[in-house]
Amino acid sequence: MTGRIAIYNARILDPASGRDEKGGILIENGVIADVGAGIAKTTVADVKIDAKGKALAPGLIDLRVKTGEPGAENKETLETAGEAAAAGGVSTMVVMPDTDPVIDTVALVDFIQRRAESVAKVKVYPTGGLTLNLDGQKMSEIGLIKEAGAVFFTNGDRPVEDAGVLRRAMQYAASFDALVASRPDTTALSKNTVMNAGAFAARLGLRGTPPEAEWIALARDLMLAETTGARLLVDCLSTERSLGAVARARKNGVKVSCSVAAYSLFFNELDVGDYLTYCKVQPPFRMEADRMALIDGLRQGIIDAVVSAHDPQPPEDKRLPIAEAAYGAIGLETLLPCMLSLVVREEIPILDALRAVTSGPADLLGLPQGRLAKGAPADLVLFDPTAPWACDRDDLNSRSKNSPFDGRKLEGKVLRTWVDGETVFERG
Amino acid sequence: MADYAFPHRHLLGIEGLNRLDIETLLELGDRYVELNRQRVKHVNSLAGQTLVNLFFENSTRTQGSFEIAGRRLGADVVTMPIATSSVKKGETLIDTAMTLNAMRPDLLVIRHGSSGAVKLLSRKVDCAVINAGDGTHEHPTQALLDALTIRRRVGDIGGMRIAICGDILHSRVARSNVACLNILGAEVRLVAPRTLTPPGAADWGATVFTDMREGLKGCDVVMMLRLQQERMDGAYLPSAREFFHYWGLDEEKLSHAKPTAFVMHPGPMNRGVEIESSIADHKTRSLITEQVEMGVAIRMAVLETLSKNVHAGAKA
Repeated sequence: MTGRIAIYNARILDPASGRDEKGGILIENGVIADVGAGIAKTTVADVKIDAKGKALAPGLIDLRVKTGEPGAENKETLETAGEAAAAGGVSTMVVMPDTDPVIDTVALVDFIQRRAESVAKVKVYPTGGLTLNLDGQKMSEIGLIKEAGAVFFTNGDRPVEDAGVLRRAMQYAASFDALVASRPDTTALSKNTVMNAGAFAARLGLRGTPPEAEWIALARDLMLAETTGARLLVDCLSTERSLGAVARARKNGVKVSCSVAAYSLFFNELDVGDYLTYCKVQPPFRMEADRMALIDGLRQGIIDAVVSAHDPQPPEDKRLPIAEAAYGAIGLETLLPCMLSLVVREEIPILDALRAVTSGPADLLGLPQGRLAKGAPADLVLFDPTAPWACDRDDLNSRSKNSPFDGRKLEGKVLRTWVDGETVFERG
Repeated sequence: MADYAFPHRHLLGIEGLNRLDIETLLELGDRYVELNRQRVKHVNSLAGQTLVNLFFENSTRTQGSFEIAGRRLGADVVTMPIATSSVKKGETLIDTAMTLNAMRPDLLVIRHGSSGAVKLLSRKVDCAVINAGDGTHEHPTQALLDALTIRRRVGDIGGMRIAICGDILHSRVARSNVACLNILGAEVRLVAPRTLTPPGAADWGATVFTDMREGLKGCDVVMMLRLQQERMDGAYLPSAREFFHYWGLDEEKLSHAKPTAFVMHPGPMNRGVEIESSIADHKTRSLITEQVEMGVAIRMAVLETLSKNVHAGAKA
């Protein structure tokens, strides 16, 4: 992209610098050339865009996206996920390795990069399987796969059960300073469960995941991070107690960061209501006290990233009795509206909400985007921070429609998304 | 009460019913008990209507009970053989529902192994749906027949002390009964080992006991639940023997209830596991076979009530 684009008359929101002010952005050759009150209608540019007072922020970076490519393209492809991301203001997505085949070799990492380059509208970064075929037994070629471009290593939704395997994989990963992500889960406690364990699940006659499933695995993972010196990303923690454990470990010098699924900030266990299969996710919607504690953790900066945990599932896997339905919810297009709704409801200040989906994840991966700074890639999102709307799953771009937000009221609408200065989405 | 119009289209659970709804069904059930004791046990209130029995889980007594109830009311009763149907060929539950709906039944009786499955189906069909048991959630006609049995044999349920004992955690019968007996004003007790007590059961409007003797103290009725074979293998309980020792109903434990206390069981029984044979077969204290008789009568009451509503276009 050549030429100069000036976006003016905007509310500039940049969590990295703490900026929340009127102004604009000047883009030159896909890179941010200038930011601030100086960019106006009169700025010399080839293209001038009047933001009409709406909010302009760094494009979102989503650290947890599943597509069905390769292997389950009926659920979602890199192309359709890219469409959904662009419509959701997500300009960078990190895709999980739990595909068919599993992304556990250099060739497959390369496949994801090339495929995304040719079909996806947004930036796509692959992750590598921590163990071969995610079977939790043999570690993958962590060094080579990292060099090929994998941004972190994870066993996805199949936690490594063997502590010996995990310990060695973390030791080995530490030699390359590779980031290891682990979703804390004890399958012996979470197997065949449907929702959070407790009085509500008992009343519905459903099997629940007790929070111990998360606590036990987290305690182990933190201990191994401490002794191996590996960098650990606690993926999608969901309870108050886990947040405390992460904060304490960090204070003690453990190299640990953590993410939370956006749905964990918005829903509680009661939202499963009438056996809604779109609300069957792992980790499950927890108690209201957990939800509030997570929001507080976000405000205090304990949580580094909020992720969509986008996990598309087709109707044949979701239109079933809840015990038989697949886990997972889509989230790319509702990630920003979910955060903005929390802002409108005065649960969290806007810069804290945005930090966890922009500079927070960017810093974690060492990416140049995710900030409105001179020289940074012009990955941007323009949005109306308060526009109310009702989510209808059929209006979403994702190939699968399993959104727990279906039928719910949200605030905040994406108007336009840019990747490297190119418009990849514009609301008609 | 004679002119009270039952306001529901389906019977998915006891939850959502009020006292008047339940009493209306019980009174109609009372009348059908009398009919069922005549030589000619037949009326024509459902003549021309189609009742489909859809049992995704094996059942002898509930399925038979609904069949007999439907026939005695004059309905055309069809029992769908699920084991050999297209469900096995990968058709989704909802596709099955749409297919059946297109055959225009008036009443659909469903049992399914998953909690919430019957409610899911009820949203996709135009007829009245009766929950004949969904997973570990509800089994409303069992609770209604139990209430009818108690009312007729023991008396007014209001103020009565009733213990429900055994595998509460996995029991849809317990969930429906706690709700129903609470609405009718009973003092409900739950007696079970901790591993078979649902979290939050103390908030169901029942007192929870682990010691059976203490739990049975002063009870008018003792309801036993069936213990599934797969719970006894060391996962929830160490052995059937140990379960019987602490939570099986025998003469000695029953002696802690009122001397006149009655014993119930939804069946099928595991004799010697949750209940001793001498009690199950006790001539004056066991109501177990009477429960089966009441089952047909209450199901006739439910079928007739709902069939009126489905054609009058009642909501939910």
